Parts: sequence; C-alpha cells; structure tokens
Amino acid sequence: MDKLLRDKKAIFVFVAPAFLLFTFVLFIPICQSVYYSFCEYNALTKPKFIGFENYRQLFTIDRTMKIALKNSMFFLIFSVVTQLIAGLVLAALLTNIKKGRDFFKNVYYLPCVLSSAALGLLWMFVFTPKLGINQVLAQFGIKGPLWLMDTKGFIILPMWVIASVSLWQYVGQSMMLYMAQISGISNSLYEASYIDGCTKAQSFRYITLPLIRPMVATAMSLNAIGSLKFFDLIFNMTEGGPNHMTDVLATHLYQQGFKYFKYGYASAIGTILLVLCLIVTFIINKFVKVDNYEM
Amino acid sequence: MSKSGKKKSKISTKVIYVFLSILAVVYLLPLLWVIYVSLKDDKTLFVSPWALPEHLMIENYSFAWTAGKLGVATLNSAIVCGVTLLLCLLVGSMAAFAIGRMRWKLSGAMMTYFLTGMMIPVHCILIPVFTRFSKMHLTNSLTGLILPYLTLSLPITIFIMTGFFQSLPNELFESACIDGCSIYRSFTHIALPLSRTGLFVTGLMTFVANWNELLLAMVFISDDNKKTLPVSLSKFVGPYNTNYSQMFAAIVIAIIPTIVVYCMFSNQIVDGLTAGAVKG
Amino acid sequence: MKKKVLSVLLSTAMIASVLAGCGGGGTESAPAADGGSTESAPAADGGSTESAPAADGGSAEAEAPAADSAASGDVEEITWMFWDDLNATEDLISIGYKDTVERFNKDYEGKYHVNVVTTNLEEYYAKLNALVAAGETPDCFIVSPGPNLDVYVEPGVAADLTEYIKADGWIDTFNGGEGAFSQQTYDGKIYAVPLNIAAACVFYNTEMFEAAGITTMPTDWQGMLDACEKLQGAGYTPLTISAGTAWCLSMLAGYLCDSEGVDLAAIDSGSASWLDPKVVSATNKLVEISQYFQPTAAGDTNDVATANFYNEEAAMLIQGSWAIAQINGANPDFEGKCGVFAFPGTDGRVIAKSDSLAMSATTAHPDAVIAFMKYFTDDTAQKYTAEVGGKIPVTTVEYDATKAPAQLAYVMDVFGNAKSTFGFYNESMATTEAGAFFDDTMVSIYLGTPVEDGLASLEDFYKNNVWNK
Repeated sequence: MDKLLRDKKAIFVFVAPAFLLFTFVLFIPICQSVYYSFCEYNALTKPKFIGFENYRQLFTIDRTMKIALKNSMFFLIFSVVTQLIAGLVLAALLTNIKKGRDFFKNVYYLPCVLSSAALGLLWMFVFTPKLGINQVLAQFGIKGPLWLMDTKGFIILPMWVIASVSLWQYVGQSMMLYMAQISGISNSLYEASYIDGCTKAQSFRYITLPLIRPMVATAMSLNAIGSLKFFDLIFNMTEGGPNHMTDVLATHLYQQGFKYFKYGYASAIGTILLVLCLIVTFIINKFVKVDNYEM
Repeated sequence: MSKSGKKKSKISTKVIYVFLSILAVVYLLPLLWVIYVSLKDDKTLFVSPWALPEHLMIENYSFAWTAGKLGVATLNSAIVCGVTLLLCLLVGSMAAFAIGRMRWKLSGAMMTYFLTGMMIPVHCILIPVFTRFSKMHLTNSLTGLILPYLTLSLPITIFIMTGFFQSLPNELFESACIDGCSIYRSFTHIALPLSRTGLFVTGLMTFVANWNELLLAMVFISDDNKKTLPVSLSKFVGPYNTNYSQMFAAIVIAIIPTIVVYCMFSNQIVDGLTAGAVKG
Repeated sequence: MKKKVLSVLLSTAMIASVLAGCGGGGTESAPAADGGSTESAPAADGGSTESAPAADGGSAEAEAPAADSAASGDVEEITWMFWDDLNATEDLISIGYKDTVERFNKDYEGKYHVNVVTTNLEEYYAKLNALVAAGETPDCFIVSPGPNLDVYVEPGVAADLTEYIKADGWIDTFNGGEGAFSQQTYDGKIYAVPLNIAAACVFYNTEMFEAAGITTMPTDWQGMLDACEKLQGAGYTPLTISAGTAWCLSMLAGYLCDSEGVDLAAIDSGSASWLDPKVVSATNKLVEISQYFQPTAAGDTNDVATANFYNEEAAMLIQGSWAIAQINGANPDFEGKCGVFAFPGTDGRVIAKSDSLAMSATTAHPDAVIAFMKYFTDDTAQKYTAEVGGKIPVTTVEYDATKAPAQLAYVMDVFGNAKSTFGFYNESMATTEAGAFFDDTMVSIYLGTPVEDGLASLEDFYKNNVWNK
C-alpha cells in the first residue's frame, strides 16, 4: 500500500499536466508581474527598473492605498466571520429539514451562479436614492440614508452595504461546501450518538463540527482570498467612489493599472495582495486545520 | 423522547421554515425585479421604478437577442465553459489526488505553488498572458480563451478536491490495494466516484466563474462571432448612457442557461448526497 | 532517481520562470528545457525579446497580415477599434459611424476592407493597451484628445498624420483649417483627426422658466443664482446634476474655475497653485449653487440626472451636447420645450470635446487608413453628425438645419458666439489621474469636505505626482 502511494511515476503522471499548464499560463506571468512591480512600466513603453520606488510611494504618499488597505481588512474580517457563521447555520438547518431542502438550497445558491457584474448593477439600482429602497421608505415617511455615498465614520456606510450584498451573494457557496462535507459523514455516527442520548445540537457540536473542520479551513481560506481579491461588486456598485472611500486593493489596482496605466505600480499592489493572501492562508491553516479524522 | 420534546421540535421546525422562507424572499425579490425592469422602457424606469409597466416591452428581448448576437454568444460560452469544465475536473482532480492521497516530500510545496494562482488578481497577469498568447497566435480564438480559463480554474479545483480526497477513508484504498488494484485504477474507480459531490460543487463553481468572466474575454476576443455572453451583455453599455431595460432583458436571457445547467447539476448533487449517506 | 527528476523539474521551472520574469530581455527558451515535447510552442517564438512589446515589436508582426492579404486577392485588411458596439448601440453618433464603415467597405470593395473591433468604453483602453503591448496595435483607433492621446503620442504608438492631412486639400475642408486640430497637435505635428465636436451647455425647460417668470437667460453668476431662486420659488427643482458620476459635477466645477480665471496650464507647470484664491472662490461658488441641486444629486448617476431633466422633474441640466440624442430619444415630446444657453459668466468661453481618430505608427496600410479616416469627415458623414447625431460638424459642410434636432441650432449658436473654447477640465490636466483626482475632490467638497481641505489634498496630489516629474 505504502509503496503504491509512493509510486513516483504515478505522481508524475498525475501532477504533470496541471503543473505544466499552471507554470506556463499562470506562474511565469505572476513572476513577470512581480518583476514589473519594481519597474516604471505603462504597458506602452519598455519597463524601466526603479527598485522599491513603487512600494515606497504606495506606503508613504498614496492616500488611497491606506483607505484600500483598511477597507480590504474590514472586508476580510467581515466576510470570513459572517460567511462561516451564516454558511454553517444554513448548512445545519438545511441538512435537518426534509421538505423543501432542495428548493431552499437552490434559492440560496442562485446568486452565486449569476454574474457579480449584473448583480452589482442591480444592487446599485436598488440603493440609488431616486429609484430604489429610499422611494419605498419614503412611502412610510422615512428619509433613507445615502446608502452608497455616505462618508461619515471609520467604516463608512457604503462598505457595510457592499459587504452585506457580498454576504447575500456568496453565502450559498460556503453553505454548499459545508453541506457536501456533512453529507460525507456516516449516518451511523449520528445514530450512535442519538442512542447515547445526544440532542441534535449536541451531535452537531460533537460530531459534525470536528468532522468538517478541514472543510472549514478550506472554505475560510477561499472566503479570505476571495474577499481580499474582491472586485466585481464594488466596481459595479460604487467604482470605489465617492472619492476613493470605498476602494479596496483590487479596485485600486484596477484603476492604477487600467485607468491610468501605471502598470508597474499596479503590479506592486498586486504583489502586496499576493503576500497578504499568503499570510492569511497560512494563519487560517495553522489555527483551523487539524489532522484528518477517520470517518 | 417525551411528548413535549416532540412538540418542541415541531415548533422549532416551524420557526426554521419561517426563517428560511423569509430568507428565500430576500433572495428572490431582487432577481424578480430584474425581470420586471426588463419589461419596461428606460423612460418609465426612471419616472416610476416600482410601478407596473403600462405595456410590456417584449421587444426589449427580441432587440437584445438580435442586436447582442446572444445566440452565437451563448453557444461560444457553452463551448468554452463546457470544455474548460471537463478538462479542469480531470486535470485538477488528478493533481489533487497526488497531493492529497499520495506520499511524496514535495506535496505540500506543490500545493502552495498551486495556491499562489488563486491569490493574484487576474488584472495583474493580463498583459503578460496576453502578450505571450498573442505571440503563440492564440488570441482571438476560443482555444486561447479555454487555456487561461482552465489554468485559472485549476488552483481552486485542486484546493477543494484535495480536501475531499483527504477525507476519504484509508481502509478503502488499503483493501483495494490488497485486491491488486493499481494506483490509476484506485483513482478512477475509488477516489473519483466517492468524491462525486466534491466534483459537482467544484465543477459548478468553475463553470459559473468562467461563464461570468468578462475582462479576459473582452481583451482576448476581437471577432464578433467569437464573443462570449458577458462581452455581449456589455454591448448595451454605451459611452454616455446605458440601455438599462434592454440590458436587463439580455441579462435575463443570459441567466436562463445558467439556471438550467444549475438545476441539472443540483439534482446530481442530491444524488451525491444520497450516495454519501448510503456509503456510511 | 525519479524523485530526483521531479525535484529537478520543480526547481528548473521555478528558476526558468524567475528568469523569464526578471530577465526581461533574457531568452524565453528556458522553460522548454523542462517542458518536454508537450509545451514546445512557447519556446519556438520565445527567442524573440520579451521586453520589447511596445511599438518596435509591431513592425515585425505587421508584415504578416500584409503577406496574408496579398495572397488572398490584394484586399488590404485594416482594423478599426471603437468603444461602442455598432449593432447594439442606441447612441446616434455610433450608428452614424456604422454607416460610415459600411459605405467605406462597399466603395472600396476588392481594394480595402475595414474590420471593426469593439469593446465598451470601460474596457476600451485596457484592450487597446494590451494590443499595443503585444505588438498588435489596431491600424486605426478612436481616442479622446488630451492626456488620453498623450500616452499614445509620447512613445510613438500613434503616427504623425501631418503630411496626409495637408495633402490633397483635406485640411481645407475642416472648419478653421489647422485650428481644428489644436487639441491633436504636438510640436507642430498632427497626431489625430477630430470627427465632431460636442459643447457643454445649460439645457433648460422653457415651460418652467416661463412659469417662474424668467424672461431673459442669465448671463452672469448673479443672474444664474437669481434664476435658481425664482425657479425654486415657483416650486421647481432648479438644477439636476449627477455627483454619483463624478465628471458631471466636475464639468460645472470646470466652468466655475475657468470663469474665475484659473490658469490650468500654469497649475500643471507648477507656476500656480490649487490653493490660489481664484480656485477657492470657484469652489465656494460650487458649494453656493449646490443648494439648488435636486435632493438626490449625491447618489444619482448620469443617466438618472439626465432622466430627471427630460421627465420634467428639474428645470436645468448642465451637459455635453451628446445628451441631445438621449433626451429626444427617451422623450420625443420634450424637444419643443428644451432650450439651451451658454453657461453664464464665462466671458464667452465654452467647454468643447471631440472624438478623434489616430493611426498606428506601425500600420502596414497607411493609405487604407487615411482613406478610411476621410470617410468620417466627408460631407455625408458630417451632415449626419449635425442632422441626426446632434453634434457639431468639424468640416464646413452645409447641412439642413430643419432636419437637425431643435437643440442643435441653439448649441450651434452658443458655439458660434463663443470667443474661445477649452477642453473638459479633467481631460486638460497633466494626466488622466490628475483629472480624475480633480473630479473626486469636487465631489467630496460637495459631500461636505471643507473647501480648504479638499483643495489641500489636490495640492498634495500635484506635489507628489505632477510637479516632481
């Protein structure tokens, strides 16, 4: 058995196609982009090596970068925590009901299969004062806030709005991952626990949770990386405005790279994003992942 | 269990259903609103966004279909996403199997290597990839789009599938080994079938991500007859103003195949769930 | 042994990719060493220099299609890149361009053929620059004058068109001759051809003005404020504007700055400051007039703000003349009620904007491109521009004013009476980023940032990004 699993030729056959594709289409361009982050490069002229100048500018004089970092961190914490809780709760509730499980599951997953760009546009409509929610609130004599334009406070209202929309859109993803994992847990474990007098809540706590922990780590990492790279919804709801107050790293990168064509500078933001992602994934795996349980 | 316990659980079931139903409304209402907007014209949309349309603008749909060339775009998207999906599941789960189940020193390093692909935004690598592909004469072709889509989908596929393969019980492989099963056979006949749920979930995720991808498709494809759906949807955004109602009509058209595919898949997932239960 | 192979594979790939990334000009063939037979493709062409994606890389590529076309019957194929889909668009100017393309392809059948590559405006420059980087610059592309054009002129991506424009009397068809090219001229050389002009004006609802008892149009700042006051007194929303789409608010700010005598060129060169009393006074005026905006101005997008006007929910709209088509298209009944006057207090200066065509410096078919460009400025196209598109023609073409939208005549009056024109503020600054920063600053001041703080941040931006270059 062990010998079989150490078969080098088989490992090579299994890994090679993915490895080659990945290296040529993705990894080399990533390295190029890291190199560009040390260059002054606008895609139209040759890159010119300038050392750490881009990074120095990013951290010393770029005010948008500070806002973007703050917003990205907010987004990271918000989505990792809320997706974990909401995803687990939904998965637990749905695995415990019989009637309509598919219906609810399909409905909650639905926004995940739709384009964020289209949904961003839709939600922008909903939060536009002239068109959406505020008109409904006005029927009840309530003057709605400027959902996407308010700039007061440390974490401004538009960020909360966008974060909630993203929870709405993506919680189905976490839910599905947890449900798929829960379904892999053998029924006999639960039956045994009920015989021992466990309530459903207890069996969730002592059987489901520990057994899906690897998936929790996976889903959390996915959420964390996804939220750091988060782009579509913000871009379509506010484009980072007003005055860059809702910019996150990815929108800042896009503006610098594709609106103003400071491609080298944008690559520096991308590199920082990559490093942040690596750190966050490392932390999550360190603290959440445990050795596999035998199921 | 006592009678009161049963009653209590009935009430809690009701509470659960009420909660789930309210949530379902929150999910469906905005989507229904899209359909609703797609049946208005731009003028009434801005005057009274919530009022019922005076007459249904079915012509929004026919205009969107013909002007946006949505038929050909849907076909292109289906080809690109379908091929990508199949290749990605095959190539990705092979690598995931080696990383998650087999024993070799560099498996952890390999995983980290693949993970970097998930962490960098596509904007960062757009120009290097485009330059490379253009030299290989791969731009402006569906193959040229399939390759980056496939590669970009690999990290997440490998990441999730590794988790699934790792959670498979060791005994299964041990007994297979005793029966003289080769490593390739244990991959195709044990690991893959048992991870069907995982395959469907990742398949769905990558399909959806590629189905909605705009930037790469926009930059890589110039030929009108090779454009994919998201690119065609963006045709309704003009330089100074946007045809909202027609664009929403196009969005509705674009959503329908996704929902059909999704429903097909979701039934498969239900099968997967049952298979998982039987297995135990 | 096999383990060794694997680790070699891993490490060579890593080294190779690092080389490819950092080496820039280094050979790209390294990956082939471990890639084996399956991936030999990148090695084949990898020998060429990776670091020269710009203009010079194009020449080699450009010859290939030329050879192709020679084989397929001498038809010279060119590409034109444009920022709106020609089939799905409702923009009347874009529809006019579609006709132009069809006319060209029909008239030159067998000789030239133009293929149109479209994206939407959002992704336009991303795609164009990727094509340039890959050495596949489209033969002809549309571009806005100002810093957007600068970036193609400076590295030599756009071709010098002077000799073509001055040949065969083409230049004489333009209104104002060489003066028509002022925004497209760099060091005496012309790099792009303007196709039409849009002017930013104040559109107003004649019925509301009448009801509010305003008989003469405001000609100075105080008159404008009085008119707003009267309209408000009569129960109307005086002004609809979009702060959600930053450039709309910034257009008003641009007019205010110019009428205060702010010298943008002096600011760009560093000899004047954003903290200048003239700028402060202009910004204070912006704050002053903002009390007459529609209550939802902060969140309204451009489309919503314009809809407020043609749906008769507000009396005035400050917009470019491209809005005419949108207004008349959405509410045809409104055409008769819509008046236009020049933004008051500017001493006869009007904001104007033009679409321009540039040619790739590496094109293999310059004659085909020039022939194509001429179709945009011929009488048929320019007549359409005025009569249907509602924009101001760039040539001296005679057009039927009765066919044109009613508003165009008013805009032409405004334009004709203008002593001089100036570009959109955000398109007249040192870089596109500086322009966007100006827009954003104006929005944040409107949303409540104190004028001094807002302008100080603009000053800071210029210190760090413009003046030190």
